[in-house]
Amino acid sequence: MNLRPDPTRPHDADDGPAVRFSSVVHRYRSLVALDHVDLEVARGETLALLGPNGAGKSTAISILLGLQRAQEGTVSVLGTDPRAAMASGKVGAMLQVGGGSGLPHGVKVGELVKMTSRLYRRPAPVERTLARAGLTDLADRQTQRLSGGQAQRVRFALAIAGNPDLVFLDEPTVAMDVEGRRTFWAMMRGFAGEGRTVLFATHHLDEADAVADRIVVLRRGAVVANGAASTIKATVATRRLRFVSKGADPARLRELDGVDAVSVRGSEVVLDSLDADATVRSLVISGVAFSDIEVTGADLEQAFVALTCDLAEVRTVDDVIAAQAPVTRSGTAV
Amino acid sequence: MTGLGAFLRFEVLRLLRNPRYVAITLGFPVVFYGLFLHSLEPAVHLAGTTWNTYFMVSMASFGAVVAALNAGGTRLAAERASGWTRQLSVTPLPAWSYVTTKIAASMVIALPVICVVEMTGLLVGGVSLGLGTWVVLTAVLWAGTLPFVVLGVLVGFVASSETAYPLVTALMFLLSFFGGLFTPVADMPTVLRHVAAFLPSYHGASLGWAVVAGHGPGLRDASILLVYALVLGLAVIWRHRAEESRAFA
Repeated sequence: MNLRPDPTRPHDADDGPAVRFSSVVHRYRSLVALDHVDLEVARGETLALLGPNGAGKSTAISILLGLQRAQEGTVSVLGTDPRAAMASGKVGAMLQVGGGSGLPHGVKVGELVKMTSRLYRRPAPVERTLARAGLTDLADRQTQRLSGGQAQRVRFALAIAGNPDLVFLDEPTVAMDVEGRRTFWAMMRGFAGEGRTVLFATHHLDEADAVADRIVVLRRGAVVANGAASTIKATVATRRLRFVSKGADPARLRELDGVDAVSVRGSEVVLDSLDADATVRSLVISGVAFSDIEVTGADLEQAFVALTCDLAEVRTVDDVIAAQAPVTRSGTAV
Repeated sequence: MTGLGAFLRFEVLRLLRNPRYVAITLGFPVVFYGLFLHSLEPAVHLAGTTWNTYFMVSMASFGAVVAALNAGGTRLAAERASGWTRQLSVTPLPAWSYVTTKIAASMVIALPVICVVEMTGLLVGGVSLGLGTWVVLTAVLWAGTLPFVVLGVLVGFVASSETAYPLVTALMFLLSFFGGLFTPVADMPTVLRHVAAFLPSYHGASLGWAVVAGHGPGLRDASILLVYALVLGLAVIWRHRAEESRAFA
């Protein structure tokens, strides 16, 4: 895929994609954070950016937001340079914060949103922004008296206060409960439905699956998958076999053809297999008693694990998240 | 530029609404003026003026130092820790405007502190000056606040949210005591007099002492303050750049 911009093409800010990375390379000393990344986000698209820590996500985001310049390659945001796009007020962003709330103290929520909206050229009405973020009832609350989930909604309000064409959200639901997440994404769909481009990074793969038009997976500085959730799931050969077997020996199941991972909980057995047909055949031959067998395709979590991890190291997406969670919070990961 | 105006207003309002900040910056100099006014005979002659007037200038300077260091240091360190500075970096505000707005807001807040101490001198201390002298005095004391405002911002960049408050408090009292704001420099031992001659707090107050003694503000004092402001300003720029480039590395 060659996304190098054609120099003969007239420069039209409203015509091209919302975001375009062409052969972007970025290094920190000897560490290659981005290795010839090509990426395009169409206007109006909702795109999820996935990848374990150290995959280059943070670097790509900081370049996109104009906080760093790409060392090689070209990046354009809304048809212009990332810094110019940010300065134009057409980009909004919600970043991850470390231990704090990400908000200044000594100010009411409504005042903070109002001040922020004034930094933009054509802001959304403050009342609409507050309503969208579910903050209408909290407008008179001091920022230091907010819960984690409420502070997160305020940071979201700050990201959309400027009525942006492109909004970037880094783990927007990380401090929210299940109900909060559901409400948040319902609202977000309406926001994206107004023709805005939305990019988000998340560790909740169900969110990426449900919300994004397209998913991009980064691994070690390169795009390893790029497509609709269904396309990405289909790239993974893994099938999951479930059956009931009393007293099954995990070590013996591990020996079956094609088996990649084994999980035994009481009499319930789950096998991840790279060749489901071969596994079923060898299961029958092995003489292990089983019943209620069921074979399913990979879900997005399995696909993500397969795409981003060395299978020998990590088995489940929970391991991936557990392994990277402390690094994510520090906000300093590459 | 409307955005910058809104941001400056926001910063000043937040300072004014912080009861602890207002209590410290107004309370300290006014209370100390009342306490130490009678440590000498108020009408005793000193450095070309009287003690009540001299000490009013000292406490106005002290108030400005307290206002400047507390406005920048403690809050800026806390905002760096909370992630608010990072959030601002992804708005249309130019990168330099966070620091310059902090400096402007500290300057704005220092002016009423100087005025309140002067009012205390007028009403409580029986200070009597011509209108022109009041105006020039206020102007030079206010201008002399700049190095402390920049120092406050620098502390906010260097210190963590835990160390900023004790650091600001220590700086505030060390600069004031050794700069001769509590004991007239002329009454200090020789060694301390030499120390005072190096401190911006001494030169800031000196601008005012010269005005109330009927001289013009000293050019030497002003130059030294300017050098302090420039050097500290360069240090702020250096720390700001370092922090920006480190944010994602």
